[in-house]
Amino acid sequence: MRVADLTWRAPVTIDCADPILKAAQTLSEAGVGSLVVVDGGRPVGIVTDRDIVTRCVAERVEPDTRIDSIMSMGVVALDADADVEELYAVFASHAIRRVPLVEDDRVVGMVTLDDAIVSTAAALNDLAGVFSRQIAFPKAGDEPAAPAVPG
Amino acid sequence: MKASVGDRVIVAGRHLGERRRTGRIVEVRGVDGAPPYRVEWDEDGRTTLYFPSYDCRVESPSEATSNESRAPS
Repeated sequence: MRVADLTWRAPVTIDCADPILKAAQTLSEAGVGSLVVVDGGRPVGIVTDRDIVTRCVAERVEPDTRIDSIMSMGVVALDADADVEELYAVFASHAIRRVPLVEDDRVVGMVTLDDAIVSTAAALNDLAGVFSRQIAFPKAGDEPAAPAVPG
Repeated sequence: MKASVGDRVIVAGRHLGERRRTGRIVEVRGVDGAPPYRVEWDEDGRTTLYFPSYDCRVESPSEATSNESRAPS
């Protein structure tokens, strides 16, 4: 399975010079939990709603402070056609929950650990259904006929 | 930021809980040495696509060797 086959969403970005207040408003309006911080169009960091709580509100940082002062710096990304196993490896080795997807080195999406778990669980559930039928009806043709629809 | 294949990447980590990470650039995907880079991380040997930020610096292999020789033993 490719990463692009998982559920993912379009990235929401904010400029590195924008204030924390604008980031909070953007998070709220877009209904997302994280923003990709860009500098001249190039990603330089990620900021999450939790970052705003723990690094701004809790530390009494003024909301007109630049967002790049509280963002997590550097962006670990994946090509959109990467394999899902590669995504899980990134989650594990970098201790992150969000990975931007890139095509031609442009960020085109954001996949979260939650998205990956839900998508994988759904795929496993489908697979379990197939195996359950094979266990219950090991011989081809054993499946019960579909009930007749009363007409 | 400009870099070449073989250069060392040092990511300082600025916030609480962020680790210092080091690695080696195995591919430069931007134009004229610009990011993004594919980096093989020293910690686990895995390779990822990386867009560096202000907490990242790049050293050529010779600079890295020089810095290591100056480090206190």
